[in-house]
Amino acid sequence: MDRAFYLDLAKRGLRMPIGTHLVLHEHADAAEIPRDGERLGDVVIETAERFETPLAFPLMDLTLEKRALLRALGVPDEEIDSHHFNAPPTCAPEFRMGRRMRAACDAITHVSARRDLLPMGMEIGPFSLTTKLVNDPITPVFLAGSGMGADDEEEIATLEAVLAVATDFVLAYCDAQIDAGAKAIVICEPAANTVYFSPNQLRESYAVFDRYVMDPMRRIRARLDERGADLVFHDCGELDAGMVERFATLDAAIMSLGGSRCLWEDAARVPDSTVLYGNLPSKNFVSSTLTVAEVERLSGELLERMDACGHPFILGSECDSLHVPGSEGETLAKIDAFMKLPSPSTPTLTP
Amino acid sequence: MSTLTELSQAVESGKRKDATTITQALLDGGMAPLDIVEQGLVPGMSSIGEKFKNNEVFVPEMLIAARAMKECMAILEPLLAEAGVKPKHTAVIGTVQGDLHDIGKNLVAMMLKGANFGVVDLGTNVSPDQFVAAAREHEAKLVCLSALLTTTMPAMKTTVDAIRGSDVASVRVMIGGAPVTQDYCNEIGADGYGPDAASAVDVALQLAEAG
Repeated sequence: MDRAFYLDLAKRGLRMPIGTHLVLHEHADAAEIPRDGERLGDVVIETAERFETPLAFPLMDLTLEKRALLRALGVPDEEIDSHHFNAPPTCAPEFRMGRRMRAACDAITHVSARRDLLPMGMEIGPFSLTTKLVNDPITPVFLAGSGMGADDEEEIATLEAVLAVATDFVLAYCDAQIDAGAKAIVICEPAANTVYFSPNQLRESYAVFDRYVMDPMRRIRARLDERGADLVFHDCGELDAGMVERFATLDAAIMSLGGSRCLWEDAARVPDSTVLYGNLPSKNFVSSTLTVAEVERLSGELLERMDACGHPFILGSECDSLHVPGSEGETLAKIDAFMKLPSPSTPTLTP
Repeated sequence: MSTLTELSQAVESGKRKDATTITQALLDGGMAPLDIVEQGLVPGMSSIGEKFKNNEVFVPEMLIAARAMKECMAILEPLLAEAGVKPKHTAVIGTVQGDLHDIGKNLVAMMLKGANFGVVDLGTNVSPDQFVAAAREHEAKLVCLSALLTTTMPAMKTTVDAIRGSDVASVRVMIGGAPVTQDYCNEIGADGYGPDAASAVDVALQLAEAG
């Protein structure tokens, strides 16, 4: 897409949560729908219409890729949840999508019939996928940051081999979603954060962060370029400024950051061609201790400060606004609060 | 002759090879295994825990230290068992049903071991019945519940309810995890909330000592 499309959405004052999970669970057979591409596509469309956005955000389920990758490697279904590599994989898996991944692609195709919506794909980033595939991902990252290599520690060798496999798998799923009609792909890298990368080590060097997070992301960015799809980069983890500066070099169409960041400060780190999205504390929307009034206050502050700094911005949630049984009202009230808050300086969005 | 201070320092800085070498040297020098735990390993983990609370070190440094301690304990545990030494308190720990995340839970488990708790780690996706059965089997003082997702937090309440309705109703329950708060702890009737792994140990000790 022409980058002006996203910049125009920001200029027109678009607001939206990542809300497909919430809308999905308004359906009685919510567990079945993600297996049916057409029905899943209808939920994505319903979500876009509900929140009056042309961005057809898919359902965020970052467990699909691990399941499909391990299945492709022959791990029995009953062991997949608990399976971790303790040694480098002996072979690269042939890319095969699971049923839910195929349905996600079919949903994209279904959405793409709507000319007023931007069909989008979504998947986990290579590093985050890797963290789900090894038992303890933090230790090898720290050891690598201490100057050790794959020859020194088996854990590093395993992490690096799994990362290579994960990157290829993510790239293949990118291709599948673009083949299905996606014009933009949301890459979620929530594990690229200061829990997995020690701030003490980052003060000395970002070399390991560059190697384990940015190099695979640059490959994805290059692939999306080749295929004519846009990158929407999402990371709701605890981040430091150096990480944001590195993510900014990806020149994503949209960068979605978590509640750990002051977006009006990060605006100076991010190119003007990248729309910043976020970052209301949706992980706490479920809790009654976060009041509607506080969400209104945070929204007002974000709108004012982003308006003042002049960076393209879409007000939204820091992550998926999850459906939690019994707490739907709490969550919806907070979404309503930021969707309806007056914004005198921007014109009303006409879908 | 290696010293307990050197052992503490090796654990704190995560030097596992140094830590195990020193542990073995202390044993070879005739030191009692329990003294090595209480005067070498526990102070090392306490020190790194304090630094974690003060934001001087972070999760990776904690994990590296815990790994060093774990390898020392692998040497010491058979000797402790042989001598009939049991931990003063036993804690059962797990990630609640429906949640497969375990880094936070693992960290708390290692910190509890570092504070000389006996730890029964049930893993992830643990049902309320499994928590109850393990608390009963191991005569636990404490059950620790972890959840990373807002969607799985309700399983904490289900588990607390199951414990309160069982024959181990008096066991203390503490909870933790990214979306969890003290308010939620109060709301579901748990006994304690640990905002981070190091603080969780303090809370665990308070609850266990309170009987």
